[in-house]
Amino acid sequence: MNAELVTADLRALGAAGQMSLRQLRRYPANFIGQIFWPVLLPAVWVLMGQAYSGGGDAQALDAFATRSGTTGVTLFVFVGYAMYMWLSTLLWGPGTSLRVEQLRGSLEAVFLTPVSRLVPLFGPTLTNVVWVLFQLVVMGLAVWLMFGVVLPLEGILLTLLVTLAGLPAMYAMGSLFGAAVLRFGEVGPAVQFVRGALSLLCGITFPIVMLPGWAQGVSAAMPPTYVVAGIRGVLLKGATPLDLVPTVGILLGLALVFGAFAVVVFRILEASARRSGMLGRY
Amino acid sequence: MDELRAALAIAQKDIRNVSRYRFSVAASIFTPLYQGVLPALLFGASFAVGGKVVGLEKTIGTADLAGFIFLGGVVSGLVATAFWAMAMSFRNEMETGTLEPTWLTPTARETLVLGRALGGMFWFGFGQIAILAIGAVFFGLRFRLEAVYALPALAIATVALVGVAYLLAAIVLSIRDATLFIDSTNFLFATASGAAFPVVLLPGVLQPIAFALPTTYAMDILRNQALGTRLLLDPVTEYAALLATTIIALPIGLWAFRAADRRIRRLGTINQY
Repeated sequence: MNAELVTADLRALGAAGQMSLRQLRRYPANFIGQIFWPVLLPAVWVLMGQAYSGGGDAQALDAFATRSGTTGVTLFVFVGYAMYMWLSTLLWGPGTSLRVEQLRGSLEAVFLTPVSRLVPLFGPTLTNVVWVLFQLVVMGLAVWLMFGVVLPLEGILLTLLVTLAGLPAMYAMGSLFGAAVLRFGEVGPAVQFVRGALSLLCGITFPIVMLPGWAQGVSAAMPPTYVVAGIRGVLLKGATPLDLVPTVGILLGLALVFGAFAVVVFRILEASARRSGMLGRY
Repeated sequence: MDELRAALAIAQKDIRNVSRYRFSVAASIFTPLYQGVLPALLFGASFAVGGKVVGLEKTIGTADLAGFIFLGGVVSGLVATAFWAMAMSFRNEMETGTLEPTWLTPTARETLVLGRALGGMFWFGFGQIAILAIGAVFFGLRFRLEAVYALPALAIATVALVGVAYLLAAIVLSIRDATLFIDSTNFLFATASGAAFPVVLLPGVLQPIAFALPTTYAMDILRNQALGTRLLLDPVTEYAALLATTIIALPIGLWAFRAADRRIRRLGTINQY
């Protein structure tokens, strides 16, 4: 009986993924934004880096290398912005999907189905990986065509490995956000705030050592920190698969912690919703 | 006089509308700080040698990182007011269903943009005073007294941006999904004006675009007066270029706006989006 239920839930999870894939196909104009921002946002920061470094002044670049471990400012920025874009698609996509269903009036109907509540919580995350891979390809091409930085094949493959290792933790974090935002309602400001805070904490545009000690402590508990550090290690410092083992281990551990936390928060909100009937209100 | 009263009434309505959403007002002050200023300051400081951003000094003639970034924010905010508060507000009225009744009033259509400009400038001024005060208290932001000499340049650039807002409003009224358009062009306009870095760092093919924007000169004059940075051109040429681009921007914007007004009335698309 339990096996049947699990199979049914997995089928429902597949259907939820198929639904979000279909929605993604229906709005092809979204791909324009997914080309524009991953190219131009980091490009502006690379030019800011040129302004701050005096066009590559040796002293300034040495100072940057002391803090970041590399003089490759262009790739440093592009890797950081790959995470920024991932966070954007994660928070605006799966992170707000429950709230969007609530606004459309379909959340109550979904909750009346006999599938596990975890299906609507984790289902929308399945196709978000399409955007992540698409943005990585766009940014890889941009850094090559605009700044002449050619990525090594081994580095590209290991980048994909780090990305795959980071997926569970990132999506667990997105689901936690999605569950929490259902309670507070204000999606736009919440996305802006969380994305802004994670951008500051996880070393996206500047080396983490620039943060005060307490903030560095918080950043050590965030999955994006390890994904960014892992990819920078691979592309800028020639890290090997063996060097990545601790990063992968930490990311899997964080996936369990964030995933469990998301489920607990979701269960609490669900129980509260049953009592107060808040699912239909917004 | 009637049109002035109408513009003031529109501005008053916009100010009242925005003031009702206090969380949004607070966000308009803090979002640029934690999403733009703080990351840029920490990124710039990571190039510092002995606490001094020597690279920036080499590029623009001053190592005042905070001043450079905060003043970039002033011009970015001015551009954003033209793009979002003046032009995009037409789309917001479309969505709330109030644009058609507004179009039926005897007020000149051009006044609708001017009213939004006044309302937008109020919130721009309010936000900038708050942001610069935070900069002064927490980031050691200090300007030279000569900064006041840049105010005429900012005033002229504001007039030019009203012209740009007319042009943008024409486009917003003509296309169905304006959000991506406004968001991306706002970013490009502010970037090409030198808000984030000096325009001489732009690739050669993009530099003529930067020099065709009035805000590029306003940005340059403001940083020169307030921080003592090197000017791109000599002061007389900068003011002449600022005036020339303003004189061009206003009639082009008005022409496009009137053409869009005629088009949507002919096609009956004012309530479609």
